[in-house]
Amino acid sequence: MTATSVALPSTTPLGRVDELLGRRVSMRALALLRIFAGAVALMHLWPFVADARAGVIYRDAFYEPYAAWYPELPRSLYGGLLALGVVAAVAMSLGLLTRVATAATFGVVAYNLFLSTTHFHSNRAYLVIVLAALAIVPCGRELSVDAWLRARRGLPALDPRSPAWPLWLLRFEASVVYGASGLSKLVDGDWFGGTVTWHRMVQVRDRIEASPLPSWAVSLLLDRSFHTYAAKVIVLTELFIAVGLWWRATRYAAVWVAVVFHIAIQLSAAVEVFSFLSIAALVIWAVPATRDRVVVFDAADPGQRRLAGAVESLDWLARFRLAEGGRGSPLTLTDRDGTVSTGRAATVRVLSRLPLTAWFALPLLLLPASRPVPARTG
Amino acid sequence: MTTRPAVACHGLGVDSRVRVIGRRVAVVLVVVAQLALVARGYRSDHKEFGFQMFPESSTWSAEVVRVTAGGARVPVSEPWFGYRWDELVTSRGLAHPSARHHADAGLDNQVAFLAAALDYVAAHTPRDRETRYLEATVTTWHNTDGPEVTVLRSRERGAALDRGPA
Repeated sequence: MTATSVALPSTTPLGRVDELLGRRVSMRALALLRIFAGAVALMHLWPFVADARAGVIYRDAFYEPYAAWYPELPRSLYGGLLALGVVAAVAMSLGLLTRVATAATFGVVAYNLFLSTTHFHSNRAYLVIVLAALAIVPCGRELSVDAWLRARRGLPALDPRSPAWPLWLLRFEASVVYGASGLSKLVDGDWFGGTVTWHRMVQVRDRIEASPLPSWAVSLLLDRSFHTYAAKVIVLTELFIAVGLWWRATRYAAVWVAVVFHIAIQLSAAVEVFSFLSIAALVIWAVPATRDRVVVFDAADPGQRRLAGAVESLDWLARFRLAEGGRGSPLTLTDRDGTVSTGRAATVRVLSRLPLTAWFALPLLLLPASRPVPARTG
Repeated sequence: MTTRPAVACHGLGVDSRVRVIGRRVAVVLVVVAQLALVARGYRSDHKEFGFQMFPESSTWSAEVVRVTAGGARVPVSEPWFGYRWDELVTSRGLAHPSARHHADAGLDNQVAFLAAALDYVAAHTPRDRETRYLEATVTTWHNTDGPEVTVLRSRERGAALDRGPA
């Protein structure tokens, strides 16, 4: 007798965990992240490459190996390795020999990071984590040259789904980045009390006063009592992002806040690739299912046709199916739970689910006119 | 006749026992390792994978000197035997230690880097047959606290001195 399976939901906690980890889900978000992460890896590697091209590598000045046994390459090989990293990062973004290219990018970035304690920065650690996750999932079956070449040869597309556990782990890591940072500030009296941010502003007073900021903003930034509140907002923002991303009810708010948070950091501090990577990595919080929302539009209506065009070109997470409706019918969105929105509410909800327009459209969901009608489809 | 338990995954397929256990192990390892690294960040100098960003507004400065076999204390701001401090130590804000700098990853991190840089310079200046060790008198200001002074010393350069004058 051969083993047979019965697809019944497990009743034990461990069984449910196994189901969660092994559940095959869409890797679309990771395919999209792969494109961005390749570009970020390129941005990260480029200064090392530029130095190497000028004849300077890490060990020409102070560096501190983590371990004596860690292999260090001859100068020419190290330069070659960086070049390989650049080529691999480009191939990874394009999705050309994706599995190999992603693994190679991860290998080069990780090897370079651990060459010296002086190479270590949190943004680089996060990059290594993201690349590691991408290297172990089949994230080249969509949005890739590989997929295009396969289609061109007339071969059937590969299943873009894969067991979910690397995605859950990457979500955990992304959450830890915010949570650990927020927690360390929460338990530090100087930080939570506002001393650190205020003192930092005072230290760069010259730059703030020379900036194009209006005088009231300069006064505010240098005001000690303002920082008593501002620091708490910063700490609670980080903790909110860390926790809020996990629940559907707060996820969109957390994503919106995270984008503002990273733009603010990018404008106020030198954080290398952190902001770009962190904003790109927010795509992993999209529900890993594709084409589970239906947009019905009237092709004769110019406004609806434009929106359908926007969906076609900007629906990078493949959340929508487009269908032509009857002449004169309003734009209709049927959500994955069967909720139906029409007209302006549908437009706002569609735009709030496209990566490029989500940040602008999400606040509009709070308006009463943007709420879906209570009717549900069968 | 044998019947092996099959693990169903929402009706989308059956995984081998090895795969299922392998996933559990991988997930537990990553979660535990990451949490351990976060905890370690509270007592390690470099806080690798601890994600403690913008931790302090602390500042530091240091007077770094070479202490010669004859007991002279020569600032490293003066070139010696063809070496320059700001060419030997270019990263992590250490090129000009006498100026007061922000310790952007915290004081522990900054002081650890300076200590390592002293050892690096002591070990990577073979033409120097004069210096016994390098010493840094480091003044640190933890956030808005008053100054604290610490003295760091590199390893002794006995072998270099034994080779005699260049």
